[in-house]
Amino acid sequence: MKAANPEKGLANEKQKSIRMTNISAAKAVADTVRTSLGPRGMDKMIKDSKGEVMITNDGATIMKQMEVLHPTAKMLVELSKAQDIEAGDGTTSVVVIAGALLNSCTALLEKGIHPSQISDSFKIAGDHASKILEEMSVKLDLSDTTSLEKIASTSLASKVVSQHSQELAPIAVRAVMSIVSEGDENVDLKNIKVSKKLGGTVDDTELIDGLVFASNHASHAAGGPTRVENPKIALIQFCLSSPKTDMENNIIVQDYTGMDRILREERKYIVNLCKKIVDTGCNVLLIQKSVLRDAMNDLSLHYLAKHRVMVVRDIEREDVDFISRTLGITPIAHVDQFTSNKLGSAKLVEEETVGEGKIVRIKGCSNNSPQGKTASILVRGSNQLVLDEADRSLHDALCVIRSLVKKRALVPGGGAPEMEMSQKLLELSRTLTGAESICVRSFSEALEIVPYTLAENAGLNPINIVTELRNRHTNGDKHAGINVRRGGVSNMMEENVVQPLLVSLSALNLATECVRMILKIDDVVMVR
Amino acid sequence: MSVSILGSRESGQNIRDTNVRAVQAVANIVKSSLGPNGLDKMLVDEIGDVVISNDGATILRSLEVQHPAAKVLVELSRLQDQEVGDGTTSVVIVAAELLKRANDLVKYKIHPTTIIAGYRLAMKESIQYIKDYLSVKTETLGKDAILNVAKTSLNSKLIGAESDHFANMIVNCVEAVGIVGPNKDVKYPIKSIKVLKCIGLSAKESVHLNGFALMTGRTAQGMPTSIKNARIACLDFNLNKFKLQMGIQVLVNDAKNLEKIRIRELEITKERIQKVLKAGANVVLVTKAIDDFALKYFVEAGAIAVRRVDKKDIRKIAKQCGAEVLITLMNNEGEEVFNESSLGSAEEVTEERLGDNDFIFIKGMKKSSSQTLILRGANEFMLDETERSVHDAICVVKRVLESKSVVVGGGAVETALSIYLDSFARTLGSKEQLAISEFAESLLVIPKTLAINAAQDACDLLAKMKMYHAASQSSSEEKKQEYKYVGLDLANGKVRNNLKAGVLEPTISKIKSLKFATEAAISILRIDDLIELAPKPEKERDGH
Repeated sequence: MKAANPEKGLANEKQKSIRMTNISAAKAVADTVRTSLGPRGMDKMIKDSKGEVMITNDGATIMKQMEVLHPTAKMLVELSKAQDIEAGDGTTSVVVIAGALLNSCTALLEKGIHPSQISDSFKIAGDHASKILEEMSVKLDLSDTTSLEKIASTSLASKVVSQHSQELAPIAVRAVMSIVSEGDENVDLKNIKVSKKLGGTVDDTELIDGLVFASNHASHAAGGPTRVENPKIALIQFCLSSPKTDMENNIIVQDYTGMDRILREERKYIVNLCKKIVDTGCNVLLIQKSVLRDAMNDLSLHYLAKHRVMVVRDIEREDVDFISRTLGITPIAHVDQFTSNKLGSAKLVEEETVGEGKIVRIKGCSNNSPQGKTASILVRGSNQLVLDEADRSLHDALCVIRSLVKKRALVPGGGAPEMEMSQKLLELSRTLTGAESICVRSFSEALEIVPYTLAENAGLNPINIVTELRNRHTNGDKHAGINVRRGGVSNMMEENVVQPLLVSLSALNLATECVRMILKIDDVVMVR
Repeated sequence: MSVSILGSRESGQNIRDTNVRAVQAVANIVKSSLGPNGLDKMLVDEIGDVVISNDGATILRSLEVQHPAAKVLVELSRLQDQEVGDGTTSVVIVAAELLKRANDLVKYKIHPTTIIAGYRLAMKESIQYIKDYLSVKTETLGKDAILNVAKTSLNSKLIGAESDHFANMIVNCVEAVGIVGPNKDVKYPIKSIKVLKCIGLSAKESVHLNGFALMTGRTAQGMPTSIKNARIACLDFNLNKFKLQMGIQVLVNDAKNLEKIRIRELEITKERIQKVLKAGANVVLVTKAIDDFALKYFVEAGAIAVRRVDKKDIRKIAKQCGAEVLITLMNNEGEEVFNESSLGSAEEVTEERLGDNDFIFIKGMKKSSSQTLILRGANEFMLDETERSVHDAICVVKRVLESKSVVVGGGAVETALSIYLDSFARTLGSKEQLAISEFAESLLVIPKTLAINAAQDACDLLAKMKMYHAASQSSSEEKKQEYKYVGLDLANGKVRNNLKAGVLEPTISKIKSLKFATEAAISILRIDDLIELAPKPEKERDGH
């Protein structure tokens, strides 16, 4: 520690450069997704390391696929993931806001303001901004389906499947509403099963009244029924095939009569099992996939088909819970427990041919089980790319509705809340003094990135639009936003461009927090 | 600073240019195969297998393109093939042209989203215009119209010379499989038409057969070649020497027992066969194997046995002749029996020899809804191409029969739309106007390519066509209204009324191809970033 002074100077220099590298790495990530923000945002085509191609507009998906290297860049990826978990939508805007905030940090740092001070002031600004957001929000009643549909279609408007928002939005709303009861604070989206099936177009996507198996189909081997009205449904977890001996054991046949006996015994065993099932009145049998041995064999299929029992095999283990909840039945683990009171009822079970494959549909389930309600959606698409993107977009729409259940309030879309926060924060900065004032002011300017980018992506003149917005908001028109369809500024509430409060709120908070964290890093140590 | 990722990244105008170039390259490959005078491609794959084809979807599928944007186009033609079955080449050409022109507009500083909006609007307008003005109901045209549709589709193919013969066969075939649905609408499941290929003779000798044909012979020479009043049994289990399951050991202490067990193994199968024969079956179709020793029982009983019948086929046969496909002989009590009720019946089952192959024909079944086309041809390549062409034509005929609406071919629709959209664009005062005019201009690529492929003067013909179409759209005179059916006569290098000449295509095919092409162009246009990740080195996975 002889030359303490020059080393300290060096250390300062190093800290500065590390901060700057961190910031520019994170900013670069934000710039990548910036063009996909908003209803007229562009798509990214990503070819992954396996050579598979994906076209998407969803911020979280883009970032996840990109596999960035820089550690701070990774923080931004995590940020959009967090937004995806918390709100499910606004994954692009959260990154864009974070990028803009980091950009303003660079200027503040160059002015010589200490990073902790910037970080503290950003905290003040962020907290104040959330208050502004809550103030400008409008309460929403969950029974107001039309508003809910409008919100879902705002979320879908920016996706590749935007022209189908008319069909998808009501589906998302109805699905969430069917599993929510009054007073619920949260929704478990696991109770909504989204199945994908290739073929048809996105228009054919539907909310299923009951259950659908997209990858299973009724067994045709023995020519059993494929359509059963007023079915009695059972879900079994045991196998209907000849029993297997344990690994080391063998059955030994010494005589030719033994062969006949084995054949006869096997048939008898199967017949007995099947008889028990048929005797309870069951006519639709769902069988869980079995790894150890065949779930069914020809004999049992034949017998069940003869007695007009429809068989759907290879039900995945993870689906068993969902199915039993939907049908209000308990899975049966052994034939001895197979009694008629374990059967579930519905209106119709039917196999349908769709596209190149087949699906099985159970309609009109008696959905009254105590564990809660479920909903199923069948997504269709003409090719795998569209299908996957439709699935992702639908997920976003479902999340949007969920965030409304969590926090029942709305804010206008189209950059209006960001502009309003920016204006109000500007006023706040004038009441403060010192570095705090400068930082809050920078924060407020950074928020303008959202309307600016929206205008830019829509092919409008961003400067004209942003200045006009500023003007409108200063004059108290707090719902003014960018009307992408008409290419001007208008009242977003009247245009029905609305989004859940939770999405904007969590985007703001998460972005602020992430930026503060990046600011506080002053050294990167590589550990091998 | 740009993001550091494991791989390469291309964005903005660069990626748009690359995408358009890639798409253009794909379209250029199939361009010369469009239309009646289009030429064929010979594709040789890495093993050395040769495919000769004129079908856009087939060509593109065999190409194995690398570029992701070009893949979208390949996907597009596959989609057209699946949904419509025809027009796979034109959809690719139109999509590529739309993209090329959109990219030029972007260079004039028009934002891609504006172009996309313009294209969507233009597409909607064109579809409406086709539905309202350009489509013709088949009822007004008579049966010839459907024949003409099939001929138009076949004309561009290898078998174009025999289009009359094939068109007749195909139309008869498709009409015969019609099923009246619950809402009185007739459906034509093309799966009920079985197309078999057989080398030998000329394409003209291809025949249409009312009934079912299997491309296998009977299993033993001693069986009769023809059985009248056939009683058919359909079995879905094998008639091999019986084998015990895994996990069961046969332990023999006495040498005598060994022989007994062997005999018993044979007898179990023999008993099964005899149960079937005793019930009166004289034709036995089996999806799996029949052991040679078992054949003698069939020969003795004078029955035909066929092994390794396709599962789908056996189900169809069972349905039509009233038989039951059995996967086991077990009855409710666990005993093995064969009931007479499981048998189906047909008037005649015969084996015939065509070319080098034996065929089993099942004629006069109870419910005969399936049809068989047996295609003949000089070599395998020709047969494959004939099959694809026939498939296209079958799809087209099915579409027309179901939708009952046709449009005029030979570039007439595209020219009419182009003129209409051009004047429609002028009614708009925004930047979309430019996009719509470009859309209109892009559609002309079809008549242009048609004329070029036929070695005619494209500019001259196009100018004439445009004149007629403009006249028909600007005046309400009855005579001039007819002009909207004016299309190319490629053989003579003239324009003519193609409605009268019988060049027809299904309306739905035109509408869908327009929709698909626009959607594909838009989805490529929307891309402004291509991120290509480097393939993962295998070693990195270790240690985690």
